[in-house]
Amino acid sequence: MKNKTQTLPLLFFLLFFNHVHSWKKEEFRTCHQTPFCKRARSRTSSTSTPLIATDVTISDGNLIAKLVAKSKQEETQQNTNPLLLSLSVYQNGVVRVTIDEDHSLNPPKSRFHVPDVVVSEFQSTKLWLQRVTQETLDGDDSPSSVVYVSDGFDAVLRHDPFEVFVRDKSNGNTRVVSMNSHGLFDFEQLKVKGEGDDWGESFRSHHDKRPYGPQSISFDVTFHGADFVYGIPEHATSLALKPTKGPGVEESEPYRLFNLDVFEYIHDSPFGLYGSVPFMLSHGKQRGSSGFFWLNAAEMQIDVLGSGWDAENGISKLPKNRVDTLWMSEAGVVDAFFFVGPTPKDVLKQYTSVTGMPAMPQLFSTAYHQCRWNYRDEEDVEHVDSKFDEFDIPYDVLWLDIEHTDGKKYFTWDNVLFPNPEEMQRKIAAKGRHMVTIVDPHIKRDNSFPLHKEATEKGYYVKDSSGNDYDGWCWPGSSSYLDMLSPEIRSWWGDKFSYQNYVGSTPSLYIWNDMNEPSVFNGPEVTMPRDALHIGGVEHREVHNAYGYYFHMATSEGLVKRGDGKDRPFVLSRALFAGTQRYGAIWTGDNTAEWDHLRVSVPMVLTLGLAGVSFSGADVGGFFGNPEPELLVRWYQLGAFYPFFRAHAHHDTKRREPWLFGERNTELIRDAIHVRYALLPYYYTLFREANTTGVPVMRPLWMEFPSEEATFSNDEAFMIGNSLLVQGIYTERAKQTSVYLPGKESWYDFRTGNVYKGEATHKLAVTEESIPVFMRAGTIITRKDRFRRSSTQMTNDPYTLVIALNSSQAAEGELYIDDGSSFNFLQGAYIHRRFIFKDGKLTSLDLAPASNGNARYPVNTVIERIILLGHASGSKNALVEPSNQKVDVELAPFWVQRKNSPAVMTIRKPNVRVTDDWTIKIL
Amino acid sequence: MMKLRMGTGVVVISTALLFLCLPFCSSSVPNDPFFGIAPQDEKYYKSSDVIRCNDGSGKFTRAQLNDDFCDCPDGTDEPGTSACPGGKFYCHNAGHVPTSLFSSRVNDGICDCCDGTDEYDGKVTCPNTCWEAGKVARDKLKKKIATYQDGVKLRKEEIEKAKSALDKDKVELLKLKKEESTLKEIVQQLKEHKEEIEKEEEKERLRKEKEEKEKKEAEEKANEEKSAATGEEAGHTNEAGKHSDAKDYAADETKYEQSDVGDSYDGATDSPSSEGSPLNEVEESVKGAEGEHAAKSETDLRVEEKKSSEEIINTGNDASENTEGLSKEELGQLVASRWTGQKGGKQSGEAEDAKKTEEQEDLTSESNNEEYEGYASETDDDRNRYDGEDETEDDFREDERDDVSSSYKPDADFEGEPDLSGLSCLLMQICYLNLVYKWTCDEMILMSSDVVTTDSPSWLTKIQRTVRKLFKAVNFFETPLNQTDAARVRKEYDELSSKLSKLQSRVSSLTQKLKHDFGPEGEFYSFYDRCFESKQNKYTYKVCPYDQASQEEGYSTTRLGRWDKFEDSYKVMAFSNGDRCWNGPDRSMKVRMRCGLKNEITDVDEPSRCEYVALLSTPALCKEEKLKELQHKLDSLNSQQPEKHDEL
Repeated sequence: MKNKTQTLPLLFFLLFFNHVHSWKKEEFRTCHQTPFCKRARSRTSSTSTPLIATDVTISDGNLIAKLVAKSKQEETQQNTNPLLLSLSVYQNGVVRVTIDEDHSLNPPKSRFHVPDVVVSEFQSTKLWLQRVTQETLDGDDSPSSVVYVSDGFDAVLRHDPFEVFVRDKSNGNTRVVSMNSHGLFDFEQLKVKGEGDDWGESFRSHHDKRPYGPQSISFDVTFHGADFVYGIPEHATSLALKPTKGPGVEESEPYRLFNLDVFEYIHDSPFGLYGSVPFMLSHGKQRGSSGFFWLNAAEMQIDVLGSGWDAENGISKLPKNRVDTLWMSEAGVVDAFFFVGPTPKDVLKQYTSVTGMPAMPQLFSTAYHQCRWNYRDEEDVEHVDSKFDEFDIPYDVLWLDIEHTDGKKYFTWDNVLFPNPEEMQRKIAAKGRHMVTIVDPHIKRDNSFPLHKEATEKGYYVKDSSGNDYDGWCWPGSSSYLDMLSPEIRSWWGDKFSYQNYVGSTPSLYIWNDMNEPSVFNGPEVTMPRDALHIGGVEHREVHNAYGYYFHMATSEGLVKRGDGKDRPFVLSRALFAGTQRYGAIWTGDNTAEWDHLRVSVPMVLTLGLAGVSFSGADVGGFFGNPEPELLVRWYQLGAFYPFFRAHAHHDTKRREPWLFGERNTELIRDAIHVRYALLPYYYTLFREANTTGVPVMRPLWMEFPSEEATFSNDEAFMIGNSLLVQGIYTERAKQTSVYLPGKESWYDFRTGNVYKGEATHKLAVTEESIPVFMRAGTIITRKDRFRRSSTQMTNDPYTLVIALNSSQAAEGELYIDDGSSFNFLQGAYIHRRFIFKDGKLTSLDLAPASNGNARYPVNTVIERIILLGHASGSKNALVEPSNQKVDVELAPFWVQRKNSPAVMTIRKPNVRVTDDWTIKIL
Repeated sequence: MMKLRMGTGVVVISTALLFLCLPFCSSSVPNDPFFGIAPQDEKYYKSSDVIRCNDGSGKFTRAQLNDDFCDCPDGTDEPGTSACPGGKFYCHNAGHVPTSLFSSRVNDGICDCCDGTDEYDGKVTCPNTCWEAGKVARDKLKKKIATYQDGVKLRKEEIEKAKSALDKDKVELLKLKKEESTLKEIVQQLKEHKEEIEKEEEKERLRKEKEEKEKKEAEEKANEEKSAATGEEAGHTNEAGKHSDAKDYAADETKYEQSDVGDSYDGATDSPSSEGSPLNEVEESVKGAEGEHAAKSETDLRVEEKKSSEEIINTGNDASENTEGLSKEELGQLVASRWTGQKGGKQSGEAEDAKKTEEQEDLTSESNNEEYEGYASETDDDRNRYDGEDETEDDFREDERDDVSSSYKPDADFEGEPDLSGLSCLLMQICYLNLVYKWTCDEMILMSSDVVTTDSPSWLTKIQRTVRKLFKAVNFFETPLNQTDAARVRKEYDELSSKLSKLQSRVSSLTQKLKHDFGPEGEFYSFYDRCFESKQNKYTYKVCPYDQASQEEGYSTTRLGRWDKFEDSYKVMAFSNGDRCWNGPDRSMKVRMRCGLKNEITDVDEPSRCEYVALLSTPALCKEEKLKELQHKLDSLNSQQPEKHDEL
């Protein structure tokens, strides 16, 4: 009987084993389970120790002060030392405030300042403060110190109670951004461990020794004149950050910034994901935008407080139009940046002046990427590659996930599946395409693996709390993690990407950094223990959120070295931190093939862009699960507009290459990809704009229409540059949708050319053919309407200009071109044109500064077609100057590759070169 | 001749472009306005000065033909340039086969046509490789034709064989059906007789009982006074005893199950949460973490059923405890397995345990199915061998089966499971649970499955005779019945009805077989009851048409699919509804067939997870029409060879 009784339950439970799904919420800490967060969140202004600023002076061009407890009695009770505050001012409206312990008083340990995030150029923009003005603010008894920031803005250090803020002189000295307005500032100073002090913390089966005890910092930040706050990626949630606490708010967890590898994350949660950028920006109708950035890499929790919140009792007497926030971090120092705005683009520019401009990507990497875990072997790679050709679908990059390696030892190849990797890459490269292999930070602890041996011998691994090489578990099994905080180790790592060291790599191969949160399968919260040790005795808790950033940096710099400084790196990373934009692209990690995940990808990518990380996207199709063909098609239609456009899938999912869902779906997906390829010149121009201004490629509507309240919380639609408005379709079998078109000017349907009024919500019929895309009247974009196997073959193809005329029959747009791969553009080897249409005449102007004249990017590319939307018809000819040549004007298809595309007014074959100055006059 | 001129024309064009245009213009216009047009289409372009777009969307002038500007979205006006994304470019490829390219390939810097005509803007030089390529293609084609020529013969033979075998099957089926009805009749008669005997026996029994009763009553009456008091008491006690027995039994059961659960978690964790997940010996031998993991997944499933995230938070707690007490390594493996679906300790390859699960799932149906299949195949194979043999053989086999089952019964305590399919099913289960002992199990299953022989009509006549004799001999009106006669009738009935049921099975299996689709000409008849195997690394793939496809690794078998149907006009055999994949679809396999001289699997692949594709070469696909087509192709290839091939 025994066998039988056992069989049935066994059957039962094994059956269920097949469906292991869902987010393992309980494996991650809540704020309540995180002592510093719990303490900080429950603090009120009356329970916190008020601090005052004393000894205010100017030193080395900075405003210096001491922060001491207001009451002497409390000071003795708390046994706290004064803190040192330093305030400095930078060009273009940036104020930096640092607060740390006083090193001259010998604290037990020096606290961690995050290195290599603030760019060196930023230092050169510092304004040396000469003098400080004392001023007593309305209602105050004691004076405040005021310094000049820029025309119109002052930075103020209020002494009692201590508060720092930036104020707008032109607007009655109203505050813009302020810190500690509610007196919640708290700084846990390091103490010497006394007898019987047990600072350890346990979570589930993990124990954190916490040898230095509590050291958290928290404070409130208020954005004045703001309706909403945005930013602080990475969370799968709405664009405008919903309040987490306050009157009338359903209390939730704070927004958590703690880089984590979250299995099957859900689509609406303040929960921390793979990356952390502690940068928030506000926007409001009244005043515009401002920003706040806290350079701190420890775990951070941020509450957005509902309107009417009050630090003491939750009832507000303060005016509306402000957003209060509470920032809490486990360790580190205060290194905070205030950005005055006032436009959203100004804030981005100010923020990226601190953390760096987004890198100029390789042109190919802005095209379509085909990925899957895993393309199994060389035959599979060849097959997939040839299928794209068979179906005439362009793609630029084929990706290889972890299975290409020999036992998950990165830089190696599985010699059965990939016996000839170089030949494979050469075949792909012969079609102008590229490949990407994955290189993760966990190193297999295998003594026959030279990388591991070398890293061990050199002592390059992160140590556990007892000082041994930390041994965690990841794909290869037992693994160790390189200490990327060290510049020496980063440099050593970078050398591993040379063609000699990375055997089987070729110049067409680029890199993917996954799992760099770091993901540790058997670590607390699937990551590294906080008491692990980095170089210089830095605890992992202090550097955690920047670990992946340093890894990304090391890889990216390695690729630059590999190419002798002549080839731009392409490295996709999952983890991110402030400054990541300098090193490569980001994707939103392991999403799921569900409509909700398609929907949330838009605010997620927009938020990354707002944090400077312009080059980002979500996995098209959804990583986990099998998308219905309709969802897949919709995802392609939307994903074709992500700055980073890659399809990816989990290895348990069905194959989903674009041709696998029947002829019609193949056609729809091909069309979606074609649209992206047509728009590559426009995207590349926008990437250059991001590279010079920090303004992202994909933007929330309010970035382009800052005074239109209706756009402030809209995250269904987004702008690509200043010309295109895109709205996803997020529901099954949608028959119609509503699209709000902002601005007074009208919009042209980007498929049909039909005109729609601005400042109105339009109910539109939805077809399977495309998602709604509109072109803003008054703008000009460039397209390339010929499709090739990859972007590489399009280099010399002629352009199409699409001119959308506004109500005064005028429009403007830009085109940026360079070689797409080298750094020669830094020496001026590029073409930058501005096209202006006015008074019936199109003019091409050179935007490249004259001083850059020595290096040139020589191209002979011409403009083969100019489409005019909104022009009165009737003209038959146009005159090209200076060649004095007459060309035809006729009705021609808006999209030549689409059947039955509506006819629009077209200047046929002007064939003017993009490098030249010329005008074309409609006759 | 025309084609040759074209070739030269291209050289001229590219040179001209190199010369005149390269420094200044990047949009390239071919010199010949009719460039890139297929010969059969030239007339269309030359017929008038204004040409209509093929799709009727518009028209264009002769000057706009190949002027490197797209006027027809379908590409009619730009056959020789890349201006229209929807266009097609025609390469003559003299010496090889002409091809038609997407316009996107024209002047893209990559040589696509072997004659190099697609690249004429001077950016790359494409050598004319048509002669070499053509020669390779022709040689390949010749080889293929040779294969087809032999294959076509083999196929014809197969079809002939199939025809006669099918006829034979049909004849046999008819015969069997006739026998079946005859035997049915006899059995029916025997049954009636048997029932009559039984009726008599019943009467006899009732009569005897009555006598007994009367006798007893007489006796009891005599002792009436005494027994009235004690008898009642005894009955009561007796009943109470029964009750407590039953309770004990129930308690035992519970205890048993509980200890089972406890056992299964020994060494794994102290996880309290999931109930009812005992492991058998096989499971226990696997690492503790796995039990833990599986138990967890069950909890997760429960969690998943609830939609709101809030609820996930609430229910999450019981699962949370499960990871406590795991070793670091086990925890790492557990978390890794969420992404991979692999259980701890396995870094690559299949999710072994999931596979086992799937086997468990299918147990019942599989065993039934196997039994049926084994049945059919054995009878089929053995048919001729047993022809003409007498029933002793049959009886012997029957005895053997009885032996097996009876000797098995006490051991396994399977009382109350008398029917064969149940027994076999249990045997299968035991076999799967104890994979190590599989060989013994195989034997047991083999022995327990029955073999039916269909002997020549003589045995039937013999039976008829015997039965008739028996009927004559038995006197039903004799009272009391002659016990020997009655036993003979019973025995005869038992034997013959069992024979009948075997015969019926045989009829049904043959009917089933004949229902199958053996192809339009019966060319796949020989696939019935055959399996084709291919070993790839550690796996052996087994394709059994009309039955199933499987993947074997050591002793573990994964079913890749059950026979479904032919697809793609008999070029593909589809097997579907195989074992479930972890987190994925049911496994399935498509076997693509192509002409070859042997039935042989040449390749197995898993292009999408759990979707397998195999290649089978077989003479069944060597069709005469295709041979003609190939020959035709070769002829045209030969005729396309230019007199000279070295002009470029």
